[in-house]
Amino acid sequence: MDFSISDEQRMFRDTVYRFARQEVAPLCEEADLKSEFSFDIWRKFGEMGLLGLPLPEKYGGSGANIVTCCLAGEAVAHAGVDGGHTLAWGAHTYLCAANIMQFGTEAQKEKYLPKLATGETIGCMGLTEPGCGSDAAALITTAVCKGDKYILNGSKTFITNAPLAEVFVVFATLDKEKKHKGITAFIVEKGYPGISTGKPMHKLGCRASLTSEVFFEDCEVPVENCLGGEGNGWFIALSGVEWDRSTLVSPFIGGHLYMMEKCAEYANQRRAFNRPIRDFQSIQNRIADMKVFLEAARLAVYRVAASKDNGVGLNPLEAAVNKMYLGDRGFQLASDAVDLFGGYGYIHEYPVERIMRDTKLGQLGGGTSDIMRMIVSRFMMM
Amino acid sequence: MDYQLSKLHKLLKESMERFCREEIAPAAAFLDTCSAQEAADTMKANFKRLSREGYTGLLLDDDLIGQAVAGEELAKACPATFLSALSSLTALGRMVKRYGSPKQQEEVLSELAGGEKIGAMACNEGDAGADMGGMTTTADYKGGRWILNGNKDIVTNAPFADFFLVLAWTKRDAALEAGTTFFLIDRHMEGLSVGDTLETMGLCGARAAGISLENCSLPEDAVLGGAPGVGWAQMQSAMDDIRIAVSVLCLGIGMACMEDSTRHAKAKKAFGKPIGLFEGVGAKLATMFTFNDIGRMMVYRAAWGREQFDPESPILSSCAKLYTTEAVEQIASMAMQVHGGHGYLKGETVERLYRDARFAALAYGTSEMQRAFIAKDTLDNFKAA
Repeated sequence: MDFSISDEQRMFRDTVYRFARQEVAPLCEEADLKSEFSFDIWRKFGEMGLLGLPLPEKYGGSGANIVTCCLAGEAVAHAGVDGGHTLAWGAHTYLCAANIMQFGTEAQKEKYLPKLATGETIGCMGLTEPGCGSDAAALITTAVCKGDKYILNGSKTFITNAPLAEVFVVFATLDKEKKHKGITAFIVEKGYPGISTGKPMHKLGCRASLTSEVFFEDCEVPVENCLGGEGNGWFIALSGVEWDRSTLVSPFIGGHLYMMEKCAEYANQRRAFNRPIRDFQSIQNRIADMKVFLEAARLAVYRVAASKDNGVGLNPLEAAVNKMYLGDRGFQLASDAVDLFGGYGYIHEYPVERIMRDTKLGQLGGGTSDIMRMIVSRFMMM
Repeated sequence: MDYQLSKLHKLLKESMERFCREEIAPAAAFLDTCSAQEAADTMKANFKRLSREGYTGLLLDDDLIGQAVAGEELAKACPATFLSALSSLTALGRMVKRYGSPKQQEEVLSELAGGEKIGAMACNEGDAGADMGGMTTTADYKGGRWILNGNKDIVTNAPFADFFLVLAWTKRDAALEAGTTFFLIDRHMEGLSVGDTLETMGLCGARAAGISLENCSLPEDAVLGGAPGVGWAQMQSAMDDIRIAVSVLCLGIGMACMEDSTRHAKAKKAFGKPIGLFEGVGAKLATMFTFNDIGRMMVYRAAWGREQFDPESPILSSCAKLYTTEAVEQIASMAMQVHGGHGYLKGETVERLYRDARFAALAYGTSEMQRAFIAKDTLDNFKAA
């Protein structure tokens, strides 16, 4: 048992933190306010090597392990970078590029990964549909093989990065009767005939990431763009969810740490009744709960990451526990942070308002907390 | 980074689980309701069994993760026995091992490890709990001897303990940090008397009583470690161990609740299916699992930190205590709910666990004190805006 990170990992984390703090964080408030994705930030993420972090070096990535990816996510959010840009990064790197890395053919990897690694092209993943979210296997987007093409029909929704993306990893069914065994993944390019995206949605949080519907109308996808083979889509989707429950949630830890720092600084300087508000126990209680959560959440996230790195394999119970705990408790504490700041907490210029909105996604995206509880309880009842 | 238990610790867990199931668990319900004398006899027998299994020795050893691993199994089988062992070995035993003079160690440690004798730590008083400054027990130095006077409250193991570690003022006008001292006192020392056994809500097997000291005259070498005035510092170090141990108690109770609830949720049917397949019950099972799982990581992290001399380890053990003690109350309440009316009956395991669970958040540093301690540390870390 060893809870430490290596000196190299610590240096990497600190470097990423300094970079994000100096170069990225100052641009975030306005991007969030206007719900605008910042290509400036994206370019900087790319130059820093963050967008291709887990991809092999031969495709322009850094070959980082999962703990290192989580450290980067934590560091960027700790620097004050908003949930929108960390989410855009996560969807691009872990849901799109990492799926191609894991399940793609050599030709697919050579074609797509180098540009995804630098961020020159933006990627996304489409699983959720207007009629199915938690019950993802009920998807009804269809794919039919005709000659050297698959023809896709249907629509996807809540697809992070879709309005910007050039590469879409999409799940569709070849045979609805076969249920999850009919589900197949495809790599779809923006330029293929028959694919279109909707207008960016106005979201509660993570506003700087652009999210929209994706429509397929007799969309033609070359047969060589089937990802991972026919009928293997459900397995790929579940594997993507595994990334979701480790690397993609790591910015929540950093965001919480940033929030806790801001709360502590505010409690130290703000005065009421002739003393700093840190002297009041109700303020202290919130700070203490944030600290407990920070320690616990770190353990939960890095356990999942370390298990994947060490070849222990991902324990779905641990991944679900991690996701549920971060989502539910994290949101309660973000609400506490708003309380701690009083009226200022309700105002955009102060950081905790954004964090509370961003944090809400933790209970919804990548499997709701309700679904996490269902997963855990079903395992227990076996 | 590696979150897996070592092979040795996995083996320890297995053997301790078996031992506790076979030799400790059968008496757990009896300890809850029996007489004070029966409790004393049963607990003494349990200490001998624990000694044969190596658990008493383990608690005096430096393998803190091993203590947590084995302790969880004991606490799962019988929370009261765990608490009794905590008081004897984690509190008194480890203090003597860390600070005691060679003579004190020789007198106490082998008999404690052998399960032949039992210890207890006596700090609290009527007006001294969270704020030890309210303590009134004094030790006056007269003619080469220390004369102790005062009353100690709710001392776990007192009805059957053989040794006591008693905190007293040796400099009444000094601060706690400079004016307090621990004394190691044999039960039969003249001037020490043990009060009536107290009735507690839960953890009834770990009987408690007050002790009073009336002109209890002790030789100079009764001072823990020899030099007076460092009692407070010694206590802080002990509290780091004790906070982890109380967290382990919560893990054990939490696991017992969860396992009992899962068993029930599989066996009990309503509307044609096991009740655990209903979302309301399933969510409770999942929440119990989550609390235990996160709590266990926090315990291991704190124990590992203490092994590594991590300067943050007092904060980490406090975080673990705060988390696990509040979690176990909720777990026990959910377990009761899953069992329905049957869980409310005397004699049901969850009824006992529900009462046992209530102890941890108020003992060895209340949740309020943990929060104050953790918050001060965090607030001080971010003073410069």
